[in-house]
Amino acid sequence: MNILVSIKQVPDMESKFKVNKEGTWYDGADLAWRMNEYDEYAVEQAVQLKEKTGADLTVICIGPERVKEAMKKALAMGCDRGVHVVDEASFEKDPYSIAAIIAEFARPKSFDLIFTGMQSQDRGSAQVGTLAAEMLGLPCITTIVDFAFEKGTVTVKRELEGGVKARVTAPTPALVTCQLGLNTPRYPTLPNIMKAKKKELLSLPVADLLNISVQQETTRLYFPEKKGGGLVLEGDLGDLADKLIRILKEKTTVLA
Amino acid sequence: MQFKLTDEQKMMQDMARDFAQKEILPTLKEDERDHRFRPELVKKMGALGFFGCAIPEEYGGNGCGFFESVLLAEQLAMVSGSWRVPLNMQNIGPSVTVNKFGTREQKERFIPAWVKGEAFGFFAITEPNSGSDVASMGTTATDRGDHWELNGQKMWISNAHVGDWGLVYACTDRSKKYKGLTCFIVNLKNNEGIVTAPIETKLGLHCSPTGEIAFTRAKIPKDSVLGEVGQGFQICMWQLNNTRISCAAGALGIGGGALEAAIGYANERTQFGKKIGSYQMIQAQIADMVAEHEAARLLVYQAAWLKDQGLPNQFQTSIAKLFASEAAVHAASDTMKIFGSYGFSTEFPAERFLRDAQSLRVVEGTSNIQKTIISGIALGDVQNR
Repeated sequence: MNILVSIKQVPDMESKFKVNKEGTWYDGADLAWRMNEYDEYAVEQAVQLKEKTGADLTVICIGPERVKEAMKKALAMGCDRGVHVVDEASFEKDPYSIAAIIAEFARPKSFDLIFTGMQSQDRGSAQVGTLAAEMLGLPCITTIVDFAFEKGTVTVKRELEGGVKARVTAPTPALVTCQLGLNTPRYPTLPNIMKAKKKELLSLPVADLLNISVQQETTRLYFPEKKGGGLVLEGDLGDLADKLIRILKEKTTVLA
Repeated sequence: MQFKLTDEQKMMQDMARDFAQKEILPTLKEDERDHRFRPELVKKMGALGFFGCAIPEEYGGNGCGFFESVLLAEQLAMVSGSWRVPLNMQNIGPSVTVNKFGTREQKERFIPAWVKGEAFGFFAITEPNSGSDVASMGTTATDRGDHWELNGQKMWISNAHVGDWGLVYACTDRSKKYKGLTCFIVNLKNNEGIVTAPIETKLGLHCSPTGEIAFTRAKIPKDSVLGEVGQGFQICMWQLNNTRISCAAGALGIGGGALEAAIGYANERTQFGKKIGSYQMIQAQIADMVAEHEAARLLVYQAAWLKDQGLPNQFQTSIAKLFASEAAVHAASDTMKIFGSYGFSTEFPAERFLRDAQSLRVVEGTSNIQKTIISGIALGDVQNR
C-alpha cells in the first residue's frame, strides 16, 4: 500500500503580518513558520494508517527551501520519505496550480490514499485537495473527523452544517481532507527527530511538474479599512432628533 | 563560529514549547496552588526522549547532547521553572554521571529506567549543616563486610520522597577530608533504614518535589559504589558542573518567560492615553532585560556547546549559571514592576517567575560559589576543567 500526504508550511498565526511591497501577499520576512495545522491531522492519520498496515508513506510539500523544516517534522512524525517541490513563488500560485503540481506528481505513482489538510491557515481556499482528486479522477471526501480503513474501503465521518455528521464510504484509491477533531497529532520524539535526518528528502524543480497556466491571480492584499468610531448624540430628545436628521441629510443619502 | 540552530534543534525547541503549552500550562495554576507533582508527566517526557541527552544509544540515548538538553530546559522553564527540574533528576544528574563513572552492569541496570522516566532519579549532596562546603558532609558510609551502612541526613533534595534510584554522597573516611567522600547508587524504596519526607516550606518551584532523607543504619548492597571509594568529591564536582548548566538554562527560560510577559503587557496596557511601552522608563527596563537575556543565552549555549565538544568548560559554565540566574531574578523583578498591582497578584505569572528564579541563585552552587570558581580560574589559581 502506498500513501501520500500533502502538507504546506504556513506562518505562525500569532505573527504580526505586514503586506509585501508589491501589495499582493503578506511579507514573509521575520515570520516564524509552522506546518499547517490541518496538515498535522493529515500526517498523523497517514502515520497511524502506515503503522496499522505497514504502508509506504511519502510526504510532499511545495515551496522555498524553508519548507523543508515542516517536511522534517512530518518525517520525524513517521513519514518514510519526503518530496520537496522547490518553488520560490509558491505563494503566488492559485489552488488550481498547486493541485495540478500534486496531481502531476501523484499520477504515475498510483497512491492508494492521499491525505491533505482541509485548508491552509493562510490562504484558506479549501480547494487544493478537491481539485487534485478531480484531476486524478479519485473520489474525494472533505473535512473528515473520523477515519477507518478496511479491505480497500475508506469509512469516514465528515462534518456537515449545524453539527450534523455524515458517514461516508469510498473505495480506494481516494483522497481525504482532514479537519480539526480527527486526531491529536503526536509530538515528534527526540530520537525520531534525529533518525529523520537519515530519511530520503528528494528535491524536484517545480517546472518538472507544472504544466498548466495560472487561473487566478491575487491582485491586491490589504488590511480591512479601519472604520471611524461611532457618534454618540447627547442632549434632550427634541434637539437629538434635529441633530440626527441634519446628519442623515448632510452625510448620508438616506433622507436625500 | 556558528550561531544558527539546525532544523532538528529548532524542531526540538518547538516540540518542547508545544509540550509545555499543551501538557503543563493548562493545569499549572491549580498545580502550583496545590503543590502538585505530576509523575505521569515525567513518564510522558521520558517517552518523548527528553531524558536521553548525552547518553549512548545502547542505554536509551536520543543521539543529542548537552546543547539540546539546554534548549529543552529553556523552553520548559519559560512556562514553568518546576518542570525544568526533571531534566536534571533523570538525565543530566544521575544518568550522565553513571554513564561516566559506572560499570557496564550499573549502566545497563540504571540508565535506561531513568531515561525512560520509569524510575525517578535524584542526587543527595546537601545536609542541614553542609551546603556550599560539600566536603564537610556528616553522612557516613561504613563498610560492614557484606554491605555498606549509611547514617546521616540529607536536606533540600529534589525528588527525595518520590525518588526511586539515585546518587547519595557520603563520607567513608573522615581523616582523608574531601578525598574521603564516596558516591553510592541507592534505592530509597523498601529500605527500613531510610525515611524520606517532603519539605513544604519552599518559596517557589511548587510543582517540583523537594524533601529530606534520613539514613539510620541503612543497609545498602556492596556493589552500590559509583566509581572508586574516595572518588566521591571528584564525581560530585564533575556532576555539579553538568547539572549547573541545566539550572542556567532554566534561569534563561524563566527570564525569557518573564520578558515575554513584560513585553506583552507593555504593548497592551494603556495609561495616560498611551501604551505604557511608549514611555521611556518602561522602554529602559525592557531594554535592560532584553540585553541581559540575550547575553545570558549566548553564555548558556556556549557552555553547553563546550561540554558537547569535550572541551574545558567549568569557567564558562559557572559564568553562565551566575549571569543567567541573576538576570532571571532581575527580569522577573522588573516584570513585576511593569505589571504594577497585577504583578503583585498571584493571578498573573510575574510573581511566580520571581519566586522560581530565586531558587536558581542557590542550587548547584550559590552565586557566591560561582564567583569563587570564576575568580579562582581567572586569577590562575585553578585550572579550567
